[in-house]
Amino acid sequence: MKHIPNLAGLLLLAFFAAFPLVYQGANYDYVMHVLITAFFYAILASSWSMLAGYAGQFSFGHMAFMGIGAYGTALFCHYFYITAEPTGFCTEFPFFGRYFVIVNAIGVTSTTLDQDCLRQAMAVWDGSVKVTPMPVALGIVLGTLAGGLAGLLVGLLVLRLRAAYLALFTLGFSEIVKAVISAEIDITRGQAGLELPALFERGVTVFGTSFERTDKIPPYYAMLGLLVLCLALLTWLARSRFGLFVRALREDQDAAAALGVNTTRYKVYVFSITTAMAAAAGAVQAHYVQIVTPNMLFLLQMSLVVAMAVIGGVENFVAAALGAIFLQILLETLRTSFTIGGIEVDMTVWRLVFFGLLLMITLRFFRNGLIAPLIDWFRRAGVAEETVAKRKEAAS
Amino acid sequence: MGDKLDTPAIFWGVILWMVAWGVLGSIALRRRYFARDLDTSNASFVGALSGAALGPVGVGLLWARTPALTGRFVAVFGVIAVVLIAAAFAFADPDNNCVANGSFVASQITNGLIIGIIYGFMALGLTLIFSILGVVSFAHGEFYMIGGMLVYYITAVWFPGISPLAGVLGACFVAFCLGAVFERLMLTPMYSGKIDRPVEYGILATFGLAFTLQYFVQAVHGASPVKASRFVDFPRIRWPEDADPLWIKTSRGNLTLFETVSISNPRFIAAITCILVLLALLYLLHRTWTGKALRAVSQDRDAAAIAGIDPNRMNMLAFALGGMIAALAGALLVQAFSWLPQVGAIPAMRSFVIVVLGGLGSLPGAFLGGILVGFVEAAGTGCIPDAQKAASYIPAYGMIVLTLTLLLRPTGLFGRRYASGMHGQGG
Repeated sequence: MKHIPNLAGLLLLAFFAAFPLVYQGANYDYVMHVLITAFFYAILASSWSMLAGYAGQFSFGHMAFMGIGAYGTALFCHYFYITAEPTGFCTEFPFFGRYFVIVNAIGVTSTTLDQDCLRQAMAVWDGSVKVTPMPVALGIVLGTLAGGLAGLLVGLLVLRLRAAYLALFTLGFSEIVKAVISAEIDITRGQAGLELPALFERGVTVFGTSFERTDKIPPYYAMLGLLVLCLALLTWLARSRFGLFVRALREDQDAAAALGVNTTRYKVYVFSITTAMAAAAGAVQAHYVQIVTPNMLFLLQMSLVVAMAVIGGVENFVAAALGAIFLQILLETLRTSFTIGGIEVDMTVWRLVFFGLLLMITLRFFRNGLIAPLIDWFRRAGVAEETVAKRKEAAS
Repeated sequence: MGDKLDTPAIFWGVILWMVAWGVLGSIALRRRYFARDLDTSNASFVGALSGAALGPVGVGLLWARTPALTGRFVAVFGVIAVVLIAAAFAFADPDNNCVANGSFVASQITNGLIIGIIYGFMALGLTLIFSILGVVSFAHGEFYMIGGMLVYYITAVWFPGISPLAGVLGACFVAFCLGAVFERLMLTPMYSGKIDRPVEYGILATFGLAFTLQYFVQAVHGASPVKASRFVDFPRIRWPEDADPLWIKTSRGNLTLFETVSISNPRFIAAITCILVLLALLYLLHRTWTGKALRAVSQDRDAAAIAGIDPNRMNMLAFALGGMIAALAGALLVQAFSWLPQVGAIPAMRSFVIVVLGGLGSLPGAFLGGILVGFVEAAGTGCIPDAQKAASYIPAYGMIVLTLTLLLRPTGLFGRRYASGMHGQGG
């Protein structure tokens, strides 16, 4: 009985790993898209639950770090190229016998969105000069680092802030990031958004099977792999001294400090690690959907992540990830509108009302979420009642 | 007037100078106070202000007079810093509307004041909730939204032709009941100590309410914007008749002072009503038993309970009153702006900024903070040379104020020294 959660977890993982190879439905691409988005939210929800549930730092700016990751790789892939010849139009530097080109856009208006100095030069060259875009993987790594660095800075700034003040500060940070991205149209193109190369621009070939750039299978495994990596990292961290100290931080910061935990250092660590995860998820998702806009930083997105983590179980990041996956699938299946007695019920909106109600009910009556208690129940199933009671008493 | 500052070097140079000395001052003074084992809670704020205002002179002055940080320093340095920024801006861009055009400045100031009064009023509800429950209500913007929506539905859909006063009262009543019911259903577990972290629970619960309300209204109403018609028309006034320019001139939808400052009717009515309701609220809080009980609970829950006040009742009353105030602000502004289910987000953010600036839990602070934020926004939208960029940055001005306040002086301008936001459990 005790191992049921572990077995179930392995089975679920095997299921998700085998799913794209087995599933044959007509809506294949759609189902895969829903799952990729679900994994994306799962990474965000689990890293947020590490930050909020484990460390007790209720940050409402998690999506801002996701956006920093996404925009980091987007700007990197959009503005930097390597060419064999100097363009003569752009800002450029010699770079190991080639030229490192910084693309500057010319007069960004809606009609000239694809006019820039590199395109002009390429029109003159007419394909005679090799132009190499930056590698997508490097962009993702840089985006992740940017997110982690931003998390480090915010972590340093919020050291003295607790509870409501922390929530307001991170919300403010998130709004500032969004405003800057929307306003600096010269660089980010504002609401028009930046286009990105696909995750695997030239397709991939694995075991003799080649995939096109629009195929859903490579991004599916990329996102699933990132999710598993994040969960593994979080599990390892939670079981190490780091996890112990971070939980001490949540329970009583002053007591932890008095017992010799360097609270400053661990607070900053937990901020930078979880925000780097959010940024990595954002960067991969950005290359998957191939466009980034400031709209992905809306408070609604943050509310979705928070609600998913809470419904799954905010103090257990595996439960939070599972909650995110299930809720994302549920939200997608509830999309179909129907008609009762001549009144058409627009489920695209009503499903979110139910989602909000579910969030409130979970908060009120199932404080540890809906999935986390299930895991705990199985874990405790082999243990005698009295031991459980005794452990509970000792814990409280 | 161009699209850019004429001589950006002057402006940004001054700003850079102020920021550099501000950072240096805040760090240096905090260190010094820390080393001397003095109270550091104020040192970084005053240090930053002194550095920004007078550069090395200010920091040196405070360094020399170490234990004597008083409110006077804060006020004087604050004024100098603001004047300095304004002067730098004026020198950098002498043709700007904000510098060259006196009547434009006057109308910006008036409009900033009027919108600031409404902001301050709305933030008052949020700070009332915080001072009693210790919770920042994330559903404040949604109360604002349903206030406006209800007025529209009552006066234009359900009972066409009814007096707008009935619409406003109805909206207030519904919001009050909604707040009370929500508090009873969702927030009661916070008080018994059963929940590990009540503040976070409160934030999440109100967050859930916000989410549900917003999508409920969107599901019922749809996404089309609505607008209520003007509540009252101004009478036609020309006064005094023989003056030139006329001191006061009104048309049905507009009020003009000295023929330069123009105030639109809905905003004027909203601001006047806000002031009246604020006076009523002050009367309630200071002259009635219920109000005194509310203030007592906000000061010390246990002592209030010993004195025979039921703190839980006061929790309900505070949440309902706070929600009602937000709804009233929305009900008054639905005649000025077009209304959507998402309309609450921006005023909610503004209220957060204002309550933090004024000090979480401080009622006068909320009102003054509202007026300050109104001015900052008026200056930000009116003076920044690139209009499109200015519009995009509007949400950020307040947030910059908020983050700076939290970093330098988390208790805000008027906050109680140890306002911790920990639901009466101490910092």
